[in-house]
Amino acid sequence: MNRFGRSRASVVKAAKTVKEGPVGAVQSTVRFSERIESWWRNHRSNARESLLRLTVEPVQTLMTILVIAIAMALPAALIVAVSSLQQLSGNWQNSARISVFMHVDAAPDVVQRLQDTVRAMPQIEQVTYISPQAALEEFQLASGFGEALSLLGTNPLPAVLLLSPRADLINDISGLSALVDDLEQISGIDGVQLDMQWLQRMQHILEMGQRVVILVGFTLALGVLLVVGNTIRLAIESRRSEILVVKLVGGTNAFVRRPFLYTGLWYGLFGGMVAWAGVVLGGFWLASTVAVLANLYQSDFALVGLDFRGLLVMMILGGTLGLLGAALAVGRHIARIEP
Amino acid sequence: MIRFDNVSKRYEGGFEALKGVNLAMDAGEMAFLTGHSGAGKSTLLKLIMLMERPSRGQLLINGKNLSRLHRSQIAYYRRHLGVVFQDHQLLFDRSVFDNIALPLLVSGYQQRDIGRRVRAALDKVGLLNKEKSNPMQLSGGEQQRVGIARAVVHKPRILLADEPTGNLDPQLSAEIMALFRDFCGVGVTVLIATHDIDLVGRMGERVVTLNNGVLTTEPQ
Repeated sequence: MNRFGRSRASVVKAAKTVKEGPVGAVQSTVRFSERIESWWRNHRSNARESLLRLTVEPVQTLMTILVIAIAMALPAALIVAVSSLQQLSGNWQNSARISVFMHVDAAPDVVQRLQDTVRAMPQIEQVTYISPQAALEEFQLASGFGEALSLLGTNPLPAVLLLSPRADLINDISGLSALVDDLEQISGIDGVQLDMQWLQRMQHILEMGQRVVILVGFTLALGVLLVVGNTIRLAIESRRSEILVVKLVGGTNAFVRRPFLYTGLWYGLFGGMVAWAGVVLGGFWLASTVAVLANLYQSDFALVGLDFRGLLVMMILGGTLGLLGAALAVGRHIARIEP
Repeated sequence: MIRFDNVSKRYEGGFEALKGVNLAMDAGEMAFLTGHSGAGKSTLLKLIMLMERPSRGQLLINGKNLSRLHRSQIAYYRRHLGVVFQDHQLLFDRSVFDNIALPLLVSGYQQRDIGRRVRAALDKVGLLNKEKSNPMQLSGGEQQRVGIARAVVHKPRILLADEPTGNLDPQLSAEIMALFRDFCGVGVTVLIATHDIDLVGRMGERVVTLNNGVLTTEPQ
């Protein structure tokens, strides 16, 4: 309908709806469904245009993305390191063993009796018997002292029982200590070795590592917020006249904010992607060394978190930080630009 | 359509730009707002555009009291106004078409509607062939006409113009005034601030004059 050519009755009717409804709906020639569609279209075009705008000043954009990527890669690399080590210590813990050494000259029937005694103890899950002969063979293979050992003539190694404690005892230091004490009381047993203490220490070190990651992560996340915020602030300043005009022709704050929010989102997404790529490259570089090291410790140790789920997490994190940083900047600066 | 009830505007620092202004304009009416520079012409227009708020008095636009309008409603309110600026406020980073489309874009018009309306507005100001140009390539008069096209593209009920012929020669000025009169003829309320007394005299429309912030309506 042509607004200019309205009849008087329709003008009066329009005036009435004005008095009742909010002023915003006065000239509602745009239907609600069209509004939703146009809102969606506006989002898409904003996303596309702010992406294109990033390519206008590629060096500037690249530098901002790199700063974000570095700030994100550092805690990400720490997380990869800590969680890889955690996985490693977890593996070891599950195979936590108590080694029980018999007297070297214990007779086979004594050894058998001891084995039965230990097997009967409720704290023990599993008992593996290693005869002196088997121990010698393994030692010869692993240590390279084979020649020297063969010179000895007699086998100097005692029979050994490898005990797996019950699962609920593994993290219970006092329980394990008590178990060790009990075992040492049994006659015929020469010594008991519990290789748990250094694992406990490593646990604590890893816990500290986790806290360091959280601390570094928060600090650098704040850094990302500030970097994005500052970049967006500059973008807002450079488009000041445009913002003024848009506000004068009836653009809402949301409309004005949108392109800047998308810019922040893109910065964050790309920053997260580059950070992930950096950590992956670093991981590849370390991979061969890690593999050798893992072999030495007879472990299937590998760096965790470098898969595509990691990429997704980094992009979500980066996008969120970018969006937040941009939101901080637009919240502060766009309201201030009023015609 | 426009009603000022005893409106005063005092700026921070004590300068009183408007003193007890009373003004009423009907729908479809055209008026010139004249006065020496600093008399308060721009302030009066800014009050209608809600770029400023009155210190005292009431301002009713289309029956709605502007002092009751919440900040978040300002953007929607402005969509019912068309404003032509002296410095035309065009954006040089986009084409003539995109400049004129801006009011439609912020109001959420459909893409095909935007094209149709922008071309209609361009046709109205006689610049249909300049759609793809950058406003920077246009002459002063053409830029001003693009500004007018942008002000009327969304068919506002009220058209405000602040010194629309400020930098133009008499013939161009007359053409632009004739354009405004056309809009008035189709029911738009038109208020034009200008100091071009000669032109105003030739138009024979209602004239309201501001003198140091005091409004005097001259008999026609």
